[in-house]
Amino acid sequence: MKLKTLFSALCLVSLSFVQSSAFALEKPKNSVIKMSTTTSTENSGLLKFLLPKFEEKTGYSVQVIAVGSGKALKMGEDGDVDVVLSHAPAAEKEFVEKGFGDKRYPVMYNDFVVLGPEADPAGIKELKSTAESFAKIAETKSPFISRGDDSGTHKKELKIWETAKIKPEGEWYREAGDGMEKVIQMSGELNAYTLADRGTWLAVMNKSPLKILHEGDKELFNPYGIMAVSQKRYPDINHDGAQALIDWMVSEEGQAAIASFKVNDMVLFTPNADKADASAKETPAKVQ
Amino acid sequence: MTKLQFQGISKYFQDRHLLQEISLPVWQGHCTLLTGANGAGKTTLLRILAGFERPDTFEVQTSLGLLNWRQYKKTLSSRVLYLHQQPYMFEGSVWANLDYALPRHLSKLERAERIEEALTWAVLEALANAKAKNLSGGEYQRVALARAWLRKPQILLLDEPTSNMDQEARLRTVHLLGQLRSEGMALVVASHDPDYFSSLVTDHLHLNQGQLLPVPLHAKRDNGNVTTLRQSL
Amino acid sequence: MEALVQASQDALSLLFSGDKELWEIVGISFQVSLLALIIAIPPALLLAFALAYGQFVGRRFLIALFSTMLSVPTVVIGLTLYVLLSRQGPLGEWRLLFTQTAMMLGQITLAFPMLVSIGHSALQAADRRAWETARTLGASRLRALLTVTYEVRFGLLAAVLASFGRIISEVGASMMLGGNILHHTRNIPTAIALETSKGEFAQGIALGLVLLVMALALNVLLHHFQGKGYVGS
Repeated sequence: MKLKTLFSALCLVSLSFVQSSAFALEKPKNSVIKMSTTTSTENSGLLKFLLPKFEEKTGYSVQVIAVGSGKALKMGEDGDVDVVLSHAPAAEKEFVEKGFGDKRYPVMYNDFVVLGPEADPAGIKELKSTAESFAKIAETKSPFISRGDDSGTHKKELKIWETAKIKPEGEWYREAGDGMEKVIQMSGELNAYTLADRGTWLAVMNKSPLKILHEGDKELFNPYGIMAVSQKRYPDINHDGAQALIDWMVSEEGQAAIASFKVNDMVLFTPNADKADASAKETPAKVQ
Repeated sequence: MTKLQFQGISKYFQDRHLLQEISLPVWQGHCTLLTGANGAGKTTLLRILAGFERPDTFEVQTSLGLLNWRQYKKTLSSRVLYLHQQPYMFEGSVWANLDYALPRHLSKLERAERIEEALTWAVLEALANAKAKNLSGGEYQRVALARAWLRKPQILLLDEPTSNMDQEARLRTVHLLGQLRSEGMALVVASHDPDYFSSLVTDHLHLNQGQLLPVPLHAKRDNGNVTTLRQSL
Repeated sequence: MEALVQASQDALSLLFSGDKELWEIVGISFQVSLLALIIAIPPALLLAFALAYGQFVGRRFLIALFSTMLSVPTVVIGLTLYVLLSRQGPLGEWRLLFTQTAMMLGQITLAFPMLVSIGHSALQAADRRAWETARTLGASRLRALLTVTYEVRFGLLAAVLASFGRIISEVGASMMLGGNILHHTRNIPTAIALETSKGEFAQGIALGLVLLVMALALNVLLHHFQGKGYVGS
């Protein structure tokens, strides 16, 4: 008898929980924004720094799903998130052109750096162009670790190989299929070269034996864009929330916040929102 | 119930026709002895009557009319109690095991009274709080009979109730069974050693080659053992 | 080696300084996994019971199926549910992806075959007489089921603990279905994966310690209940 009561009590509890979380689903339409983004923005600590300011001001709450840029965009395409913040300009353009997103807003940029062992076995330190450096690495068959995960960084790396007219393959070229931090770790362990975004690098540089061996080339420019997922395609998406977040990110306040974010006393991201774009749209919407 | 007439019970095991159109009357207050060689199908027959095993053909004539297997299971098998050759004791004390046999609706006080009575009846007072699983074979059987006594079924089916028991335990078991019979229960006992039950038995049936045949009582009784048994009771 | 010692020390101080974020992650882990388990247990137990005691077409197939499901990688289960729950999938309307409910669904899917499989073995090992005795003493099917469940509770408890261990330490499905959202769907395993990838070993180890201590506590508890824990008990 007691067992029976216990059973039914447990069933009730679990049922009510399932229901309560089902009810919680009703809320995202208003106050919860789901954003997919690249690991670099989350793991560098930028979003943890920015989002509370936005949340406090507007009453929205932002749930961040950090994955590679490719997957982040795919989540937007599938309508599983409301807004995408990524750094893969070509793919982002396609995303908007295909009607998955309304418009790409530039938010900020940082740049990529080529990391490698201090000894620099391939001798790229003195080279001016990134493509040249890559060619040298391939030529000397120095180990190079690629993200290999279809992320923005990976796409950038492949583009550089293309510019250098080299098809990277062989024992020296390894695809990790993992996040930036992990790849920097692996490169450190294996004395390998790799391409990294500066934000992540600054966050982990104290733990890594690697050094920046090449930087500053125009080719290494790494712009971030933000896009609301199209409401035409997914009518019940939290479009207002997504637009509010975008508007805040490109607003003076948001841009100033991005500029003030520092890791190890270094600025990670340079805001570059096109102010005309933002004001043309509308002023930031607030949650009633 | 004064009489149940089971009839046409058949059971196949693969190709073997284990039970062939068996008829078996069960009277209130009677004790039917079921004998037969090992593997003759005694246990199977009892388990069919208990509702544990599905026969291939089956019907039973009751006061409610002619019932098939499904109807029998639904309406009557709750009034039938089956005792395994080795009775099963649940986790917990002897008391808890007896409590299991009582109807759910009784009050705590009523239960306690009935259980006390049952303990006295089966001479188990000293063991009330003992862990049932730790009892000896004879004690097992007494707890099982006490459960039957509390449950008061109309038919009590017993599979080799005295196997693996010493003489004293056997006598006690037979004694308790006699009491249950005189309370009006119908007993069906499957046994190898029919002599132990001669004081109880009112009908004797022998199972052989799938056929159940009546055996005249006293026919096989020839030794003095029976008389001494009777006297000791 | 030095790094490991340093990380472990940092981990301990993180744990005992009551780092809010860390304990929140622990809380989410337990909340999701315990609820998943509680939801999975009743149907799994019923199915295990049907497999152990029922006779129906496809019984053997189901047993084989559930044993097979034990060796399906958690990521595959995660992926399957992801495809189902994604907006583009057949259940997209529910909008469950990246919620705790989705994680729970993943963990229920993981725990269920394990509960059924180990539960079935435990119930199969149970004495058939337990069920029959309960039934013949007038217990309803449900009561008989609970009785047998109690008789084999240690085997079933082992099934529950093994399943709990599986789902609370599982990273693949939780990562895909929950999305590893801070304060929301970040549980111990996904947090460990994240912290490790960031090179924050102290956080990772601290969370690992929580899992370890919990596993130890559960096992000590189980052995305590089981009592002696050696053959012949």
